[in-house]
Amino acid sequence: MNKLQANLCLICVTLCWSTEVIIFSCIPDGILPFATTVITSGIASVILSVCFFRRIKQEMARSGKKLLLRCLLLGVVKTAYDILFLYGLNYFDVSTGAFTFCITVVVLPVILLTMKRDVSKKTWASVILVLAGIACALGGTLVHAQFLGLLIMFIGCTVRAFFIVKLNEYAKEHDPMTLSTWISIISTVLAFVIWVFVQPSTFAAIPWSGTVVASFFIYAYFIVAFAQTLNIFAQKRATATGATIIYSLEIVFSLIWSYILPASLIDRMTPSPYHVIGALFIVAGSLIEIIEFKSRRVRNAIKE
Amino acid sequence: MQSKNKRFHETLRTAGLFLVLVLVYLILAVPFRVMTVIPGFTEIRPVQLLKPVYGVFFGIPGCLAFAVGNLIGDLLGDSLKWSSIAGFAANFAGPFVFWLFWSRLSKTTFSLRRGKDLLKQLAVTAASAASESLLITPVVMLVYADVNAALFAATVFLNGTVFPLLLGIPLMILMQEEFGFRPCAARRVPL
Repeated sequence: MNKLQANLCLICVTLCWSTEVIIFSCIPDGILPFATTVITSGIASVILSVCFFRRIKQEMARSGKKLLLRCLLLGVVKTAYDILFLYGLNYFDVSTGAFTFCITVVVLPVILLTMKRDVSKKTWASVILVLAGIACALGGTLVHAQFLGLLIMFIGCTVRAFFIVKLNEYAKEHDPMTLSTWISIISTVLAFVIWVFVQPSTFAAIPWSGTVVASFFIYAYFIVAFAQTLNIFAQKRATATGATIIYSLEIVFSLIWSYILPASLIDRMTPSPYHVIGALFIVAGSLIEIIEFKSRRVRNAIKE
Repeated sequence: MQSKNKRFHETLRTAGLFLVLVLVYLILAVPFRVMTVIPGFTEIRPVQLLKPVYGVFFGIPGCLAFAVGNLIGDLLGDSLKWSSIAGFAANFAGPFVFWLFWSRLSKTTFSLRRGKDLLKQLAVTAASAASESLLITPVVMLVYADVNAALFAATVFLNGTVFPLLLGIPLMILMQEEFGFRPCAARRVPL
């Protein structure tokens, strides 16, 4: 996989994540997010384990305990930021809250700097544009937003940034398929523990229907099994910052869905001009990161 | 005797591959029956992402599996109609266009490594979706006059372009670059 392909894969991952709202609209509100995680990650774990059993076995024989410990760390960190986002988003309306996810783009290069790793000028330019996009979209609402909500989202984004840095590091060392499978298994177990605490009746509390089962399967196929695995494969070739900048496109896709899809599939909304301008800044930031800028001298050298 | 045995094993392998492909199609297609656009006729169909995959990597058995999978999906979803015959032809034609282009018409072997290759794939996807839409829509118009033909044709075309491009391309990159799948074009099977 070359860099162009890795970037395309990351865009696809972001696109899959952005459809989460569409799938969630088919799942009744009474079903807890932890229940969704247990069932969907569970289904994805089974699919991945069955389809890639031999590959996973080989990688386990090679990396064993070290890989398991790393997956455990990733699983715990992922669950932590999922919970923080879950509670943090309660302080914002849907469209504004979605923009706060992008704070990760700003936090991540700072984390990399503290870890004494280089961040290119091009990446900083992208980060500034994405930051301008977030500021523009949040603009007026930021004044009314509660400080606690912003603080929770900021901590959540910091934890997520740490997750991305570590995932990027491990993807280059281990088999992405095995990583993806174990992360799914660990997420299932951790979410189940929380689910038992919050709702002891667990599976019995779910209002099972054809639509709910179908939605769980759709979520498991595309958001967990496909997007997560593709993400780890792409991370092998991409940098953590580059990946995060592309992830920030999620809000752009979400805005497009909410505008073009029928009301039977999604809660429709007309984005405000601030949201549109913010989204455009984010697109510009992502384009700078994706496009390879080569000087004439370098281009000529490649031709020769 | 030996060549007869070899041929038998090859046929058995192709049949096995065909069944697996149909099964994968159904596993992916059936849950999406809940996302309907025109009840009984069209829904949002991410399973279309398999169209280029089946055409390019699995050739004619793949094209047939795609068409049969769609027919069984219609049967299971209680939407088997006279237009399903046209649906069968269109769903065979969709992946067939990919196979035809990458194994017969293109001078280069299938690859998605450069911008130029991606543009080719984009054009083939549009041609494939148009062929599907052109095959099904007139039949639906003829048999079911009350169906909004424009919406139907647009849904078929969009399903046939959006998913193969946005989800199909990354999946094919993964299959070729990371899992070592070889495109049918590389084998150059005579027609």
